Amino acid sequence: METIYLWIALAPLIGSIIAGLFGRQIGRVGAQSATITGVAISFVLALYAFKVHVLDGGEVFNGTVYTWLASDLFTFNIGFLIDNLTAVMMVIVTSVSLMVHIYTIGYMAHDEELWPETSRARAGGYQRFFSYISLFTFSMLMLVMSNNFLQLFFGWEAVGLVSYLLIGFYMNRESAIYANLKAFIVNRVGDFGFLLGIAAILVYTGSMDYHEVFKQASQLAGIQVELIPGIEWSLISVICILLFIGAMGKSAQIPLHVWLPDSMEGPTPISALIHAATMVTAGIFMVARMSPMYELSEAALSFIMLIGAITAFSMGLLGIVANDIKRVVAFSTLSQLGYMTVALGASAYSAAIFHLMTHAFFKALLFLAAGSVIIAMHHEQDIRKMGGLRKFMPITFWTSMIGALALIGFPGFSGFFSKDAIIESVHASSLPGADFAYWLVLLGVFVTAFYTFRMIFLVFFGKERMDKHTREHLHESPWVVTVPLVLLSIPAVMIGWVAIEPMLFGDLFKDIIVVKPSHDVLAQVGSHFHGAWSFVLHGLMSPAVWLAAAGVLLAWLTTMQFPVVAQQAEQRFSWLSRLLKNGFGFDAFNTIVFEKGSLGLGRGLWKWSDLKLIDGFMVNGTAQSVGRLADVSRLMQTGFMYHYAFVMIFSVLAIMTWVLFF
Amino acid sequence: MSFIKLLFLVFASSAVLSAFMMVTTRNTVYAALYLVLTFFSTALTWLLLEAEFLSIVLILVYVGAVMVLFLFVVMMLDVNTAATREGFVRFLPLGAGVAIIMMLEMSLVLGPKLFGLDVYPAPVPKAADYSNTEAIGSVLYTVYVYPFEIAAVILLVAMVAAIMLTLRRRPETKYQDAAAQAKVRREDRVRMVKMESETRVADIAKQGDGA
Amino acid sequence: MTLDALNLMPILPEIILLVLACSILLIDVFMRAGSRDVTYWLTQVSLVVIFVAVLSGMSMDQRLSFEGSVINDGLSDVMKLAMILMTSMAFALSRSYLKDRDIHKGEYYILGLFGLLGMMIMVSAYSLLLIYLGLELMSLAMYAMVAIHRDDIRSSEAAMKYFVLGALASGLLLYGMSLLYGITGSLDIAVIRQAVLGGEIPKIALLLAMLFMLTGLVFKLGAAPFHMWLPDVYDGAPTAVTLYISAAPKIAALAILMRLFGDGLIGILADWQMLMIVFAVASLFIGNVVAIAQTSFKRMLAYSTVSHVGFILLGVLAGTADGFSAALFYVLSYGLMSLGGFGIITYLASRGIEADQLDDLKGLNDRSPWMAFILLILMFSMAGIPFTLGFWAKLAVLQAVVEIDLVWLAIYAVVMSVIGAFYYLRVLKMAYFDKPLITGMPVRSLDMRWVLNGTGIAILILGLFPAGLVALCAQVF
Repeated sequence: METIYLWIALAPLIGSIIAGLFGRQIGRVGAQSATITGVAISFVLALYAFKVHVLDGGEVFNGTVYTWLASDLFTFNIGFLIDNLTAVMMVIVTSVSLMVHIYTIGYMAHDEELWPETSRARAGGYQRFFSYISLFTFSMLMLVMSNNFLQLFFGWEAVGLVSYLLIGFYMNRESAIYANLKAFIVNRVGDFGFLLGIAAILVYTGSMDYHEVFKQASQLAGIQVELIPGIEWSLISVICILLFIGAMGKSAQIPLHVWLPDSMEGPTPISALIHAATMVTAGIFMVARMSPMYELSEAALSFIMLIGAITAFSMGLLGIVANDIKRVVAFSTLSQLGYMTVALGASAYSAAIFHLMTHAFFKALLFLAAGSVIIAMHHEQDIRKMGGLRKFMPITFWTSMIGALALIGFPGFSGFFSKDAIIESVHASSLPGADFAYWLVLLGVFVTAFYTFRMIFLVFFGKERMDKHTREHLHESPWVVTVPLVLLSIPAVMIGWVAIEPMLFGDLFKDIIVVKPSHDVLAQVGSHFHGAWSFVLHGLMSPAVWLAAAGVLLAWLTTMQFPVVAQQAEQRFSWLSRLLKNGFGFDAFNTIVFEKGSLGLGRGLWKWSDLKLIDGFMVNGTAQSVGRLADVSRLMQTGFMYHYAFVMIFSVLAIMTWVLFF
Repeated sequence: MSFIKLLFLVFASSAVLSAFMMVTTRNTVYAALYLVLTFFSTALTWLLLEAEFLSIVLILVYVGAVMVLFLFVVMMLDVNTAATREGFVRFLPLGAGVAIIMMLEMSLVLGPKLFGLDVYPAPVPKAADYSNTEAIGSVLYTVYVYPFEIAAVILLVAMVAAIMLTLRRRPETKYQDAAAQAKVRREDRVRMVKMESETRVADIAKQGDGA
Repeated sequence: MTLDALNLMPILPEIILLVLACSILLIDVFMRAGSRDVTYWLTQVSLVVIFVAVLSGMSMDQRLSFEGSVINDGLSDVMKLAMILMTSMAFALSRSYLKDRDIHKGEYYILGLFGLLGMMIMVSAYSLLLIYLGLELMSLAMYAMVAIHRDDIRSSEAAMKYFVLGALASGLLLYGMSLLYGITGSLDIAVIRQAVLGGEIPKIALLLAMLFMLTGLVFKLGAAPFHMWLPDVYDGAPTAVTLYISAAPKIAALAILMRLFGDGLIGILADWQMLMIVFAVASLFIGNVVAIAQTSFKRMLAYSTVSHVGFILLGVLAGTADGFSAALFYVLSYGLMSLGGFGIITYLASRGIEADQLDDLKGLNDRSPWMAFILLILMFSMAGIPFTLGFWAKLAVLQAVVEIDLVWLAIYAVVMSVIGAFYYLRVLKMAYFDKPLITGMPVRSLDMRWVLNGTGIAILILGLFPAGLVALCAQVF
């Protein structure tokens, strides 16, 4: 089995290397075949691993593949931990990645039109893109398959790097460069916390291995540390919150969410793959993986739940005023990530993973559908300039509908099961702040339905508001685009029915996800659970479904029936609209405080400390004295042999005198 | 015992003295001869230690062969002795100082206190029929065959190196090859060349006009 | 021991090497002057043959033979394999350089093979006699090789210096050995070890013997203050010879340092440790500081060798298994890096252009990005930038030093490496940011290109995945 796991991870890497290093030689077709073959191999093997572990209940694999570094204090290994959780994640990652790979053939077909004629990056952009997304798949697999924190961190940084490269894929655009820098820097803030957390684990447990650390977790809970003199903190809370700060960066939770909307600068396939389905869920996965530690810290759980709830609600609000089709979907991603985080905080880790899975499918679907619309609209992304596309693009329309219904939690669709489970779990939770979180996520359902269907109505229904030239060329996308849409819409509908019972209430994640009995909200939810069908029926009577329906209705009224109302509302509450359009002012705040502040600080340090003290005195001073020393020492090298011989003899004499008489 | 000691003192001081003279003398031929004397004195001290074979080999090989060769070379080369002595006086005090200090220190350690006869008793003299040569031969080709062979390889390398550094092929040197001269054929020496006849300048000018 | 009991199997690789070297010597004599390539390829084939011979007899157990004067163990086998490999690489990187200077003589390869024989004898030597003979065989071959360009005054001068100073060092070593023999009564290291551990022998005489042997040996390694020959010889010798003498001989010298001091004289560890600290401190200082003032790339690399030797000594002076394996790891990585560094010079040098000045590397990136990249890997690795081979080597050595509570020494070494990083990075600055003074790249033979690229890639990969080599180095002790 070890070889199979190794191939799952390495096949995309090999594809990526081929496409990346030899892209020019093998051309477009070569690059796409190489990478798709790699990911396909990975997908098939991941399915096999899924069968072995999940369906046949195979043994958990936990082994070291390679010892990277061994010292007396620590051993850094590269290893795999393959259990049901990993198997599920592997299938999600590889299947979405495979769909995206195929879709990319169509989406990037006319990529060179988007580059300026003179750009050196124009040639080979297609191959580069394939290389990046395969490299991403490799990194993500390394992240989920890891059995230790070091490799987790490697995967964590590697996906961040690829994300950076892909957001700035059109490196000639100023906005893309801004966005990728923003993503990188904001993630650095998160990673700082993450790295501190890992370091704390290493210091206190002396190990990087998950199992070893989990074994010692209960001892950690007993330790108190003083970060600020006088105030004692529980060590486990400190570690958990530090790790979660890393997750906040990667999974875009308030206030580290600011990079995700901007990341839509990247080509749409990667928005689907990286910024919706997989990478951004790494934080969720990580917290679920670390559940044996998080369970020990109620403070951390409460913190997570609050952050998640605020993200879920407020980011949904931003979706209402967004007009760029990809940004609308991006805000919905933020909001859904908030839902997953809330579930984590409520100790419903399985529900979070469940929502992660359903979300991966329907959000990838929505993104790819949005991409399909964008292709048809000749890279016009403003939904106010669309409309009536239903007639021209039936497949895209129907798959989008499926995605949208899944997103708002329409009973029977996959999103319904996962989201309802989360809401019920939060309702059942008794942690501090759970009530507040419950109301926020419930209201969030209404908001989600509203902005989602506002987008659907504006894009696919009503008057055709695009210009004449575009309208004449409207047609359905090619099969490489539509086939992934259709294939993704199947799990978007079905997966909830199949997976809810084993994942939430069965023992799929037994011993992998650990929940304290006092926190076990899913067990409470599960006590009312009598099969998927009754869950749907029960859902029909819950407030969430009615709120969603209300949202759809409101969307219909404001966009289709009485657009005037929307305009008037916008005028009357212009302060609110401005607040939302500015994303609650997070960007402005960051610009003023962090950007200007750090620039000022940097300038000051540069002028006073760097130029004067370090450069003037220490660096140049040292360099000069070393240089002088070098010149003097060089004089000793006279080139005369008898000088050398004399130095030798004299040294022997000096050493002899020293050794014998001192 | 005391006679042997006396002999030792004579040979040893002769060795040291001749070595010193070898370094300081201005005439290179004398220097080589002093070196011969040094070897000779050393060989005699070895004889006192009952190392007859080594002693004789030292005289045969070094004095008889190596040094004679050396003398030839020294006499054939015209070495400017004045130039090599330059700076000798200048560095003498420093060099002598270092040498004397070093000698003093070493004699402190290696003096009779640690290496006297009471610490390391003299070996029992061998019987009269004991053959030093046979003893060496019996270990040289058995126990020490590996070092012995390596020493041979070292000599081979020295030979290769010496030949490489001194053997010169001079392509510019001319010499007769009688066999080649005898075997020569007509085609090797004579070459038939067919040439266009000269054209006068006036003709070229005329051709130019025609064209 | 009678002749019947003579078991030649332990020295089979040496015997094969000797036979092959003599055969090549004869074949070469009868070849025409223009066909030295045949000698080259025969040499490479012979190296493959003895590589296989060593590999097939490889084992981590200790096997003594020849009355305990020859030792074969994991250390000797690993070192032999590395030396054979590095010699072969040095030959491959040298051929075109020698041809361009009309010194493509068969003797270069033949003396190289004999030198290798000397080194192999050294790493397996377990008696003072063999150590000395092996050392002399190696040195003699190297003296002659340095002089191979006999019409070049610099080459001859370098050879002269090397020979005279080397003879002086050999004299010191031999004097120390004779003293040691005198006070312990044996040439065998195993017996010496017992005698020293027994503590019966006068300490002060032992110290004197140790002192002379150590000074003689660190001269061969090139540690300060006995380093003065090294820059002149490395710089004056044809680069092809510098390539040869900079890599494998260091391994052999390390081997006898470990056998003689780490094994035979381990009983007086504290005393030689003190001396080695002095040598290491001086080497790190001289190597890193003086290198800054150099304008010649070749000379700069020579000084960097002095500083690397300082690091190797740090590993040895720890006197622990960790320290020895760190020193072994260091010397192997150093050998690779040194081959790469001097290999770049021979690669860029063409007829009439020596390419050994720093100015010659200016704008290398414009001329050949790949070559500049290899240079980058090499310089990063030599400077010890994290996640390069040189970094792991330095780390291992420093760890060993810290383990014996010499933290100040480790800090000193780090500070010196930081100073050293300056001149390595300056090379890269020239290669990447300056305008080239020369244009075009010389066309090189396939074997040379493969070896140089392979060296670069090997350093890169070993830097990313050092565990295998580290484990191997740890296993032999």
